[in-house]
This record gives sequence, structure tokens and C-alpha cells, in this order.
Amino acid sequence: MFTRPFRFERAGTLADACAMLRRHGEGAKVIAGGQSLMPLVNLGLAQPEVVIDISRAGSGPDAGAGSGPDAGAGSGPDAGAGSGPDAGAGSGPDAGAGSGPDAGAREISAADGYLHIGALVTHARLAADPAAARLQPLLGAAAGSIGNPRVRNRGTLGGSLAHGDPAAELPLVMVALGASYQITDGRRPRQARAEEFHLGYLTTGLADDELIAAARVPVLGPGWGWSFHEVSRRDGDFALAAVAALVRIADGIVVESRVAAGGVADRPVRLADVEIALSGASPGEIGARLDGVGPLRGIRPVSDTAASAGYRARLCRVLVGRALAEASARSLAAA
Amino acid sequence: MSAESRTSAEIAVTLTVNGREVSRTAGAHLTLLRWLREAAGVTDPKYGCGEGSCGSCTVLVDGQPVSACLVLAAQVDGAAVTTAAGLLQADGSLGPLQRAFQQRHAAQCGFCTPGMLVTAAAALAGGRRLGRAEIRAALHGNLCRCTGYGPIVDAIELAQDEAPR
Amino acid sequence: MTAGIRTSKPDELRVVGQPLPRHDQAEKVAGSTRYAGDLAFAGMLHARLVRSPLPSARITGRDAAAALAVPGVVAVLFGEDVPHNVVRVDVPGQAVEVAALKATMEVLATERVRFHGEPVALVVAETTEALAAACDLVSVDYEELPAVFEPEDALAGGAPLVHESGNLLGEWRIDRGDVDAAFAAAAVVAEGSYQTQAVDHAYLEPEAGVGWLDDEGVLTLRVATQVVEHYRDVARILGLPEARVRVIAPYVGGGFGGKEDMTVEPYLALAVWRTGRPVRMQWTRQESLLARPKRHRMRLRYRTAADRDGRLLAQEVDITADAGAYAYLSALVLLYSSVHACGPYRVGSVRLRARCAYTNNVPASAFRGFGGMQVVFGYEAQMDLLAARLGLSAAEVRKRNALARGDVLPVGQAIETEVLLGQAIDAVLDRAGAKPQPSGPRKAVGRGIACNMQSYGRLTWLNDSAAAWAGFQLDGSLSLRCAVPDIGGGQASSLAQIAAEVLGVPMDRITVHFGDSALNPLAGTTTATRQLLMSGNAVYEACVLLRDRVLAAVAADTGSPADGLRLEDGMVSGAAGGPVPLADALVTCRRRNVPAEALGTFFGPKGRPVVTSLHADRVFPDFTFGAHLCDLEVDLDTGQVRVLGYLAAHDVGRAINPRSVQGQITGAVVQGLGMALLEEVAVADGVNLTGGFFQYLIPTATDVPDIEAVVLESGEGMGPFGARGIGEPPVGPPLAAVASAVADAIGVRPTRLPITPERVLQCLAGPGPAAADG
Repeated sequence: MFTRPFRFERAGTLADACAMLRRHGEGAKVIAGGQSLMPLVNLGLAQPEVVIDISRAGSGPDAGAGSGPDAGAGSGPDAGAGSGPDAGAGSGPDAGAGSGPDAGAREISAADGYLHIGALVTHARLAADPAAARLQPLLGAAAGSIGNPRVRNRGTLGGSLAHGDPAAELPLVMVALGASYQITDGRRPRQARAEEFHLGYLTTGLADDELIAAARVPVLGPGWGWSFHEVSRRDGDFALAAVAALVRIADGIVVESRVAAGGVADRPVRLADVEIALSGASPGEIGARLDGVGPLRGIRPVSDTAASAGYRARLCRVLVGRALAEASARSLAAA
Repeated sequence: MSAESRTSAEIAVTLTVNGREVSRTAGAHLTLLRWLREAAGVTDPKYGCGEGSCGSCTVLVDGQPVSACLVLAAQVDGAAVTTAAGLLQADGSLGPLQRAFQQRHAAQCGFCTPGMLVTAAAALAGGRRLGRAEIRAALHGNLCRCTGYGPIVDAIELAQDEAPR
Repeated sequence: MTAGIRTSKPDELRVVGQPLPRHDQAEKVAGSTRYAGDLAFAGMLHARLVRSPLPSARITGRDAAAALAVPGVVAVLFGEDVPHNVVRVDVPGQAVEVAALKATMEVLATERVRFHGEPVALVVAETTEALAAACDLVSVDYEELPAVFEPEDALAGGAPLVHESGNLLGEWRIDRGDVDAAFAAAAVVAEGSYQTQAVDHAYLEPEAGVGWLDDEGVLTLRVATQVVEHYRDVARILGLPEARVRVIAPYVGGGFGGKEDMTVEPYLALAVWRTGRPVRMQWTRQESLLARPKRHRMRLRYRTAADRDGRLLAQEVDITADAGAYAYLSALVLLYSSVHACGPYRVGSVRLRARCAYTNNVPASAFRGFGGMQVVFGYEAQMDLLAARLGLSAAEVRKRNALARGDVLPVGQAIETEVLLGQAIDAVLDRAGAKPQPSGPRKAVGRGIACNMQSYGRLTWLNDSAAAWAGFQLDGSLSLRCAVPDIGGGQASSLAQIAAEVLGVPMDRITVHFGDSALNPLAGTTTATRQLLMSGNAVYEACVLLRDRVLAAVAADTGSPADGLRLEDGMVSGAAGGPVPLADALVTCRRRNVPAEALGTFFGPKGRPVVTSLHADRVFPDFTFGAHLCDLEVDLDTGQVRVLGYLAAHDVGRAINPRSVQGQITGAVVQGLGMALLEEVAVADGVNLTGGFFQYLIPTATDVPDIEAVVLESGEGMGPFGARGIGEPPVGPPLAAVASAVADAIGVRPTRLPITPERVLQCLAGPGPAAADG
């Protein structure tokens, strides 16, 4: 509403954006989907001097054109929202197949047991992607729970990961999955493990001139089951607590598990004590093993207008139980 | 027509709004909502919260519902934007979805109505028949404080029932 | 001319009672309706308030120099720049030694701020961008003062004073019969304590408006308001004659009482008056959530005595309400609570004590239900307690005690109309069918019913009236002029439908000019569920007068008896010589010096002014009664509540437009469900934490099921054609219906709102019903 003017720069590539960040320094903010930045700008809580738009980075040689014959799905009231992999092919952050050095930033691809998801892939596209659904269903389950359809049409993977909200769904599943992020400063790429990247409340391991280019996510291996559970006051609101769980049952017992919780600390946390307690349990023993775990270590929930810390902690345990039950069932079915 | 990739406080943006090409040079900081309302004189998308929470500013950008208050106009330069007014027939009469809203009293104060219409249009554009629960799910990010939602769901169901196959 | 109750045979009505599309719907669905924030003027300025960040402080310094230096800033106003920097509110029934108590507040605070968000300065600039920079640069120095945040603390000795006159804003008493004897003789006594929270109106349209000086220099405001009569308050603030100020209310994007007090009006007026230029003011949602008055938080204590058959013998009620930092309409809200406190039931002895106290919280004022809503949570819980203790069903205990024609309310007013409470209860139970089954092993389903009564029409001693003008154009089309604000409830459209019925003019040949204090006869506030009664009757009066004039002229001209003539479908029928087209009849009128126009005025029923000890023959014109039923499912592990089904039955007297009535009912129910389950304005140490719609949660389309509205028509309302008001009544029962249903599901009744998942788990974990307080 009451916003001070700022300048606008469009970056044709992520490398350009990094260079712009270096040039403009502290007064610059990057915008992709805008779902995290713009509320802050609109409420006067962020007052950038320059906004660097990466929403069309890597979308083709004319990364700013958008309205020519290559713009994809048409225009007007029958443009067809759709929900398949071609959803929203056009001139937004979701402009589909890219080209040039940032082609990967807009794509979802699979190779060597990993899914590569470009940072500019929107939540809507990730939630609807058939390859992601087949190879790592946790991703779609998380992405499909984010906000409302408008948020999902614009919000991007990179934006969510870089923002670092402790209740956010995608950082949670990245930690649960042991994913890593490809980060660029335009000069040298580097990798960071999700678990080491999310440092605290709205704090990540990104340097001031770096951007996330892609996430590298292990596919769901044979025999693994998965589950994602979230509770919020209304559908799509910030999670009061969320749990992502993966369990592999072999020869009738749990041989491996990965369990992580969101919304109950300043970042997603692996619930190592739960994983340890599950080891060697038969599916029927999982509940009892979980009951035997004391207060979950690593969680430090806060009280706010939505819920108290105590309720969040209690909710977390309930969701862990539900997620483990569901993941185990899926693991058994996958056998 | 591409937005110039230079650092500037004012920027030229061209959007096709409800089928009509509109070009304006205005503040680069303008959200799509403000650009439509202040630069282009299109006032049916409304300011309701500035957070993307209420849906009163919903417009279609290349067919997808977005919160116009959270998009910078410059980001979508060259796109096609549809507002509720864009659902009217060529002769200015109400489109079928709008007529269904009228018949089912889906607008009381009417402030959420443009956003609801646009969201509904996008939901129905997929061509698949939606049940009432799915209609509600499609509307869940659009707040209404007057109707209790039932009449809006009724209207969308009516429009769906009456749509030519 | 005051008319009595109107009745008509329903099958004789041709337009009234039809679910016609409302006449404002076409523009609203086309997106062409221009709300208060949609109008722009060339050369328009923008205005914004600077607000206090502290709940209680002395202002020790103010400096506008830095703000004025921002390019584009035109003016910065402080309280001293306001010609008459005071808004005065009558506090009814509360006397001081010399006169009735008046509460005051400043337009812009000068020496003290009393709540977080209180306006301190007004900045006017060429652009909103300049405002964004300038408002941060208005320098205000504060010295924090002690503060008080709970009404009980405020009323205790030694509490910091919010106002020098003391922290007790107002109190009411009702004493009737012999309460102590009744309790002594009772077979069962039930006690309960209940707490309701502050909630926000959360209309989708934040406060907005535009102001300008017209060609005659009349200061004109086009604002989202429920009350155009605020032109008088604006005139007083600026020191202008009332005739030099005009308020226009366009279609409003929701009001619910939140646009009943002045919002942007005084600030827009100041900016226009100071600069001479058009000015726009748009409040942000965050500003609205922060500082606009809320629904009163209340603490309710009930003791209820009944005989072994469940018939009420006595009610002892104690109510404490948090008025916040300024009086606004708090004393009246508490009056409504007091009059409604025992619900739609017959009870011989009552002792009620109610009080509202100032605190340094955000103020509270009018909100749909106006105090009649909170008490439903209390009195319906008490009925359920009695039912449980006596082994009666919830329906039976209510039917046994339901008011009937001739019964007298605790305040002394007799019920003069039929009460369809039993029928409403039966209607929802019959339609509900069997209770649903739980969807899983760790789920429980519950069903609850709740009844209420809610007044419609304003307090009788306020001398309420409404006027409307109806006039034929030469071609027989009709113009209606009535300054009623239309806030989405079809206020203007109803008038067209009434006129169409009386005058036989098709709806599409009727134009309603509404909401203009200068150009339309004044119709009073769109509040208190009064407009159908007041402006509806005024339009009815005007149209009857007009009809009679036209028919009399035709009768004299044709020699036919007037009582054999009718106006229908654009013709005068029944005359000797055949039907006369309306346009010809109007020529006849002109020839015979008969005006083809009429002004109708409807005066509300009268009553004596109230005093602290409430006893009056007639406090309100009439009441609307209803019964609701709620089915819900509780997740026993997370405490989440999901409403599965909901029915609401109300006697609306006569449904002028059935679809409109249903829409009012379903919308009100969902607001009630929001207050029951989701909404709370969270204030901690006076700081309002609910800063945005991401925190203040109102129901979405997936949070509520289809609401089934059951419309009963007794024909015995005081509105046109026997209509009763329906805007407010359905908002009350959901609080209690949900609590009852949760109690049915988990065996413990929540006694504190909202019923969050956390509170549900606390109920499940607690040692018993007494510890159900969340």
C-alpha cells in the first residue's frame, strides 16, 4: 500500500542476478515468485532500493520477451489454468523448458538416482509433476500443501528454500530426504547439504551474492515408504507442526528411517532419537517404541497467536506417530 | 515487448488486459494490482490486505490465478491479464459465470466477487466437472465475509451445469 | 405517520417473496461497482494517520519538520490543528450529578494516548510514496504511563486511570421477582462461567473514502460507512454548519458494525478543509486490524435455578465487558447484553449486574449482534446444564421454557407477537437426520443445538425514524430516494422490491438513489437490523401515498370508485372504460394538480429513556427468534474440530426476497463459526499482536460446510408485509451450538472462546467439566 519507490532490474540469468547483487549491495533484494518478499514490502517491513527480478531467468534467449509466439499457453479468459506439467507455460517464473546456462533452473529432471529440481520451478508445477510424483512423492505432498493456489502459481522452490521459514514445507522435506542444494554466485557453483544450509529463523547459509540454482533430491528407493503430515489452523496456513518421514522395512523390521519435523524449532530438525528408537522394530512395535521416546530432543517450539509451545510439541508427537504408521504401511506395500 | 533491463525507477510495461493492449510507463515498484488500478484504470481487482491472504486482488496472468498485490507489474510485462470485467461478453453483457453468480445471489457486498469470479473461471477452465468439495477447495484462498460461501459454490455449480459440453 | 404491524396474505404478493436477483448484482458481478476506494480525482492528495505504538503514554513532544521536508508532503496536522478536536458520545442511562454522562475522545491525540494504534497525526501528500516516507519521519516523543489491561483490574482500587473520570464506564442492573427465594426453592441450580474474546469485523473492504469541496463549497465525503448522518459530527469537528457537509455512502464492502462509528470521515474532512483539494484515504488492512474497535470481550457468570420439570425459576447473571480505551458505543452494547441475557425463555426472577470498564486495550464498539451475541454462549450453556442434570433433551428443556405471546421479558417488555421457537427447533432437528458416524477410531462426532433471540430496530427511546421519497417519471418508471447505506445486505434492493409490489412497476424500471445525506431523505443508520423495518416501512408509506394519489386522480377523472382501482404491470386497472396506461394516468395527475410523488416517514415505536436500573415497557420494537443445529467431528489426538453440517432456522416474519434472507443467514452463521472456532484479536500488555490476515484467521470456503437456512414466516414482524429483521440474529447461536456439539463429542463443554484445538485437548485432559476453562 504505502511503498517507497525502488528500482527494478531484470536478470536474464542467475549469474547476472548475482552480479547485480554485488553491484547494489545491501539495498538489493531478489524477487522470483514474490510470495515472501512482497508481503514484507507491502507492509513496509522491507524497503529495498533495487529489486532484482529472476522470475524469467533461463527462460530462453529472450528472457524478457514473453509475449511472442513462444509464450506458450494463450491469453484471455480461456487461457486454461490447468494443472499438468504444462500449467502456466507462459511468461512467468514457470515458463517451462529453458535454455542457456540456467536451463536447469526451470526444469525437473531425473538422473543417477536423483531428481534435479530447478530453483524457479513453482510449487504448482512441482505438485503436479508426474516424474516427481513417481520418483519422490514427498515433494508433491509438501508442495501441494503450501498456501493457496495463487501462492503455488507464483512461489518457487528456490524462494521457499532461501527464505527459511521454520514452518515451511519444502525445507522440511529437503532435510528429511538428505537433499543438497546447488548454489551459485555467478562465478563458481557449490553444493550445500540441506541440513547444514538452514541455520535458523529466516537464516540460511547463502552469502549476500549467492542464489540457489537447484535442489538435488534422492529418489525414493526400493522398499521405502514415505509420509507427510501437517496441521495448521486452516488449510494452507503456516504449519503449527509438520512431519516428513521415510521408513524402510525389510524382513519384517525397520532397517532405516529418516524423520524430520518443521514448525517446532527455528529450522527443520531431524528427530534422531525417533530414528534410533525405531531401529529393528516390527511395524506393530513402532507405536510402543515411539511412546518410549522421552521429550523429543532438538525441538524448541515457540508460543504465538496461533498456538502455544506445549501444543506444538504435543502435536509434533501425534504427527510423528501418524507419519510413521503411514510410511510403514507404504514400505510394506512397496515390498 | 520486453521490459528494458536497465536500472530505473520508472519502467514501461505493456499488458494485454481483458484483450486490450495497455502500455504505461509508471513506477517500477508498482504491484500489478496498483498498476491495473492506478495506471490502467482497471478497478475491479481490489485491495483487501496486501498480504496475498484475502484473494480480493486475484487476477489471471496467462490464465493462472495470482495475487496481483504480490506481483510487480514489471515482472509480467507482456503477459495477458484477465480480471472479472474480462469475463463479460463482447457486447458487454454478463458472461455465463457472472449470470450464474447473479442468479444465485453470490454477491452481497460484492467486494470479494471479482476475485471469486476469476478464481472460479480458472477452476472451470480445466474442463473437468468439479464436485462441491472441489469447488470449495478451489475457492479456499478467496475470503468472503458476507455470504458464508454457500451461494458462491451454488453459482459455480450452476455455471458448470449450464456450460455447453 | 406511524403505521402498525403490516400483514398481507402471502399468496396475494407478486414481487415480495420472490427470489429475484438483487438489482445491484449485475454491476457487482461485472466488476463495475465503484466502492469508496475506486474513485479518483485529478489533483487528488492522499492522507495517512500516524498512530501511537504504545498502549498508554503521555505525549511529550511532536515535530513535523522532517516529515514536511519530504518532497510531495503538503501538510502535517496535530490535534491543535483540529478546530474542535473532540468526538462526544452519549453514555445512556449513566448520570452524573449535573447531566447525563458524556464520554469524549479526540480526533487526534494531544496530551495522552490510551491504546496501541491511537491516531496522533495526519499527514497529507501528493502521493502514497511520499506518505510512506513522511509518516515514519513525524517525530512524536512518548513517556510511558502505567496501564491496565483487564477490566477486573481496572475496576479494582488503585488501578491506573485510563480516564480521569474513572475506569467504570457504565453499568446496568435488572431486578425482577425474588431471586433468593427462587434459588432456595429450586430443584436444581446450575452454575457456569464463560469467556468470549475480542473479534474483528474483517470486512473485505478496508476503510476508505474520498473527500472534496463541491462547486458550492460543500465539504463532500464519499466513504465506506454505515451512517451518512455522521455529516453532523464532521460539521461539529470542523466548526461548519451541518448544511455545509455532505456524506455519500456508495456500496460498502461489508460493515457489520465496524463502519458504524466514524472511520476515515474526520481525517478526510480535515485534509480537504485544510488543503482545499480532493483527498483520498485508504486504511491498510493491518491498520484496520490494529486500531478499529472490536467486539467486546466479556466474562459471563450465570446461576440458573429450575424446578424438577426443568422450568426456569431464576437467573442470576453477572457480566463484565472490556470497553477498551474509549467509550464508543460500549454502554449501549452492554445494555443489549443485559436485555438479552436470559435468552428466549420465560423466567420469573432475575438479578443481573453488568458493567463495562475502560482498559488500555484497543476499544470495542458495535459488531453484528451488538452484545446480544456473547450472552448466547452463556444462556445456552446453562440450558444444556439443566437438561443434563434433569435428564431432559436439549430440545425439550428449551421448548418448555420458550417465550410465548404475552410473556414478559426480565426488563419488563412484553412479547407481542407469535414466537416460533419450538417450530424452529423442530425444523432443524427434522431436517438434520441422523447424527453422522465418526470417520475413524480416534475421532468423535457431536451434535449441538442452540436458540436465541435478537432485537431488530433501535432502542425505542432513541426516537428513531426513517424517510423515503418515491416519484414517478413521466414514462411511468420510478425513482426512489432514501439515504439508507447499502452494506451488502440488499438494503437498497429490498426497497425496490417493496415499491414494485405496491406500485406494480417492474424492478428494472425502478432506480434507488441511496446513501446520500444531502440529496436523499435521511433514513438513519444501517445498523441494529433496523433498515427493513425503518426504511422499508418508509418506502412502503411513500409508495402507498403515491399509489393512493394516482388512483384518486384516475378515480375522479373516470368516475370510478377509487377502492376498485389497482396499479399493476404499469397500468391502472379496474376503471370504467378499461385499463389506463400509467403514463396517461400521470398526465391526469398533472392536469388535476396531483403530485406524482410522495414522502413517507416511518417513526419507530417510542419508549422511555432507560436508567441504570433497567425496567421498561418497551426497550426494542421487536425480536427475531431462531434455532440452530451443528454437527461436528473432533480429532481426539489433535483437538481439531471440523464442522460437518449446520442448519439455522429463523422466523423472519416475511421474506421480502428469500434468497437474500438465506444469504444473510448463511453469512451470519459463518461469522459465528469463525468466532466460535478460529478468530481472536490477541492483545498482550495492550499491544495488539494480530497484525495481518495471516494471523487473524477468518473462515475460508473449506473451513465450513454447506449451511442450510430454514426460513419460517409467521407474518408477524413489524416491518413491511410483516417482515422481521434478519441481519444480526443468526450470528449468535453458532457460539453455543458449536460448544454444545463439542460437549456432545468429548463429554466436556468448552467455556472459553475461541474453541481452538488446544482448548479442546485441555478439555479432554482436564479433571472434569469444572476445569473446562481453556
